[in-house]
Amino acid sequence: MAEIISANDVNFESLIRNSLMIIVDFWAPTCTPCRLMEPGLEKIAANHQENVRVLKVNVNECPKTSSRFFVRTLPTLLFIKDGQVKTQIVGAVNPNQIEKTLSEVG
Amino acid sequence: MKKKWDVIIVGGGPAGLAAAIYSGRALRKTLVLDKKVFGGQIINADIIENYPGFAEPIVPAELMDQMVKQAERYGVFLENDEVAKLTREKGAWQIGVYNDTLEAKAIIYAAGSVIRFLGVSGEKEMLGRGVSVCATCDAPFFLQRRVAVLGGGDTALSEALHLAKFASEVVLIHRRGQFRAEKILQDRVFKNEKIKIIWDSEVLGFKGNQKLEALELKNKKSGTLETVGFDGVFLAIGTIPNTELVKNLVKLDENGYVITDISLRTDAEGLFVAGEVIKGNRRQVAISVGMGVQAALSCEEYLTSLE
Repeated sequence: MAEIISANDVNFESLIRNSLMIIVDFWAPTCTPCRLMEPGLEKIAANHQENVRVLKVNVNECPKTSSRFFVRTLPTLLFIKDGQVKTQIVGAVNPNQIEKTLSEVG
Repeated sequence: MKKKWDVIIVGGGPAGLAAAIYSGRALRKTLVLDKKVFGGQIINADIIENYPGFAEPIVPAELMDQMVKQAERYGVFLENDEVAKLTREKGAWQIGVYNDTLEAKAIIYAAGSVIRFLGVSGEKEMLGRGVSVCATCDAPFFLQRRVAVLGGGDTALSEALHLAKFASEVVLIHRRGQFRAEKILQDRVFKNEKIKIIWDSEVLGFKGNQKLEALELKNKKSGTLETVGFDGVFLAIGTIPNTELVKNLVKLDENGYVITDISLRTDAEGLFVAGEVIKGNRRQVAISVGMGVQAALSCEEYLTSLE
């Protein structure tokens, strides 16, 4: 089962330089909706092992990455492919909404 | 997921979960659907101090976790899914969800409300870039920064008090000359040195390049316009009932709230309502819980009458 990868300010760039679709989940331990979204993201990672990687970025520990993408609200999901941000979702969503976005941005 | 249910509850907030506990204990095959995460909007609050039965402040997420577990204990199923369609055909309710259609003998509609936006320039563009709807989620981004909170109710004042633990200054901007929040919250706000208040003012626009930098304000009494710099703005100006799905099935008032009586039945057979979709709900967990219980009891009475 594909796991969610914990990214940080050091390894982030190398992790997103990838031809797979990358979903970046910006979160913090104090954010309840972030915690409740985690099982859904695990489901997405497991269902799309072949074509999607899910990264987690703890904004408290990764200020560089959070400010690079102007993240100011949690949870925020970025959809990145070939190093480019394709779209983003701000606020808590369920796995079906993530699936829908994935099919839209391909 | 099973296709046929006795009761499908739309919405997994306090009203929906309270209804689920009672429906589960009535031994009805019960499914709760929520398009976001279970617990409802209250999980965004940092503490609850007025839910009866708890002498000490409680963490909303923990209270809602307990409601979820309590419902599951009585055999209730919970699924994250969005209901796209609700119709009554051949004496049963058809519920269109993502890639599927479910059937239920009765529906308890407890879909709650969505956060109201002002609808002025720059607001949507800056959402997630300085404009926020959840202080507990986003307060740490504004450590030693200047933030505004828009609104004058319980949510606005609670958020201002939470943000004051992080920000250098919190400015409450309210369109009226007095708050409608609980007096105890007002007292704390007035005593907090970090919190300033701008009365009688409305926001005309959100300004910034890539991220929020300022608000354009208009004083409603003097008509004065000014641009005030902020690093973040938290919206707490109320909510809009989530009643789009039932607007052709039940009576709504001019603001979109469901009109019902104390039994929480509706004009549509087998359709019950609870929580913030109902006119007069004051956005209190305790009220929503009570409504959820009442809707489940009325629903049970209805299901029994079919047998």
